[in-house]
Amino acid sequence: MKKISVYFILFFFKYAVADNSVSNLIVENCTSCHNLNNVNNKNIPSLKNLSKKEFIKIMRQYKDGDQNNVMSRISKVLTNQDIENLSRIIYDE
Amino acid sequence: MNKRLSRRNFLLSLASNLTLFTLCNLFLKKRINAKSKPKVLIVGSGIGGLSCLNNLNKISDVIDIIVIDKNKNIRTGPLSNLVLGDIISEDKITFEVNPKKYNNVKFIYDEIKYIDPDKKIVKVSDDVVVNFDFAILSPGVGYKDNIIDGYDPYNKELLPHCWDGDSDLKRFKKELNDIEKKSTIIISSPDYPYRCPPAPYERASLIANYLKKKKIDSKILIFDSKDSFTKQENFLNEWDLYYKNIIEWIPRQQGGKIIYFDNHNNIIKNEQGNKIKADLIHFIPDQKAADIFSQSNLLDKKKDWCKINPVTFELDGFDNIFVLGDSINAWDMPKSAFSANSQARVLAINLVNKILDREFIDPVFLNTCYSFSKENRAFSITAWYRLNADKDRIVSLGSSQSSVNSSNLVRNQEAGHAFGWFETMVNDLFL
Repeated sequence: MKKISVYFILFFFKYAVADNSVSNLIVENCTSCHNLNNVNNKNIPSLKNLSKKEFIKIMRQYKDGDQNNVMSRISKVLTNQDIENLSRIIYDE
Repeated sequence: MNKRLSRRNFLLSLASNLTLFTLCNLFLKKRINAKSKPKVLIVGSGIGGLSCLNNLNKISDVIDIIVIDKNKNIRTGPLSNLVLGDIISEDKITFEVNPKKYNNVKFIYDEIKYIDPDKKIVKVSDDVVVNFDFAILSPGVGYKDNIIDGYDPYNKELLPHCWDGDSDLKRFKKELNDIEKKSTIIISSPDYPYRCPPAPYERASLIANYLKKKKIDSKILIFDSKDSFTKQENFLNEWDLYYKNIIEWIPRQQGGKIIYFDNHNNIIKNEQGNKIKADLIHFIPDQKAADIFSQSNLLDKKKDWCKINPVTFELDGFDNIFVLGDSINAWDMPKSAFSANSQARVLAINLVNKILDREFIDPVFLNTCYSFSKENRAFSITAWYRLNADKDRIVSLGSSQSSVNSSNLVRNQEAGHAFGWFETMVNDLFL
């Protein structure tokens, strides 16, 4: 089972880098919880509350850390390149 | 000339409105075949249907969109157990779509009788028939009525199952509220697959919490048709902490599968032939695709769930009819509001790709599901999903859940995340 998961995660990495539409869909899924409109939500911040630089830093901390929180678990499958791609879509486009 | 212009405008408008999907970079060489605006019909304005609408609304000036639901007021499944457990009020999970949000969309509030996939019409009532080019069906679940002898999930006389927006939460709450002395409550948990897999255990937790706060000595027996359940370790740990000697889980192999119900005497019988009497018996019924599929011959009566193409969500064997949410077999993806919301994003963009005769995008899905054990204590499970190499099924990239030994702070934060997700979602869809 573990082997299968690793295979899929590697597949995910490779594919995510290669195809920008995948990054767009990942961002779409981020917006299920984090709005992009600066709408005040006291429990889950809008992604637009962060700067691009802050976003990259926080996402890397989540990804590389071993924290018991949902963002850390969600970020585990992302590569640094993925995070760069997401930040470009969220903050530059 | 007018036709040419309108077609060109249509394509340009589609492209400019879908920047999120980078369609703005496309050279739309292929012409759309439709002579007029494509007509998209959405059946069901729950989370799945509204999520599709919300995505397609970006281009509602170039497609005709009609939404049909029997209910104007939508009550969500998410957080409904908190209503039963008297933590939040019912109005916090009941919404009406803000019509200004969906300016160009026509809403019809009526019950659908029949979908004709050949004529591409939906019969709503004797004098209302709606035609469509593309139909998106998100009608929720239906219930099996042949699992427990003596129990019919459609029988309104019995305690409501409260597993959809039609069920009477108030009546259920009144029954709970009427409990004043030491009581035994039986909750039946269905066999897989069913809508919101951890919800029976969350419900048991929040009923236990409610009765404990009222200082009523109660015993809650969960009769399970399964031998394990999702987030099991987290729930068992929470029950040990807060509901020791109150909640008892009975797996199938230890007699958890109920086969008979004596309504008059409030007695159930399990597979092993043991009879148990209780003060309150609450069945969460076994489930299948919504009845409209079999009524319309869109689903073989022997099959429980709709088979779809995981790239387009097109119903197997039926062109231009798409299904998402709880009525489909989504392989590794559980039936949840979050899943339906994520599926809708892929369905909507690939529907546009289909209209434009473009290549489909390769799907990515996310599911995150929170469960409460009491007020301000919650835990989650989350997973990303993609397609397998043959692109014929949705596969999990590996799910992970909150640590069993999470601190009070983390449980509290996750409760906040659950409310935060819900708030973002309903703001996005309804308000």
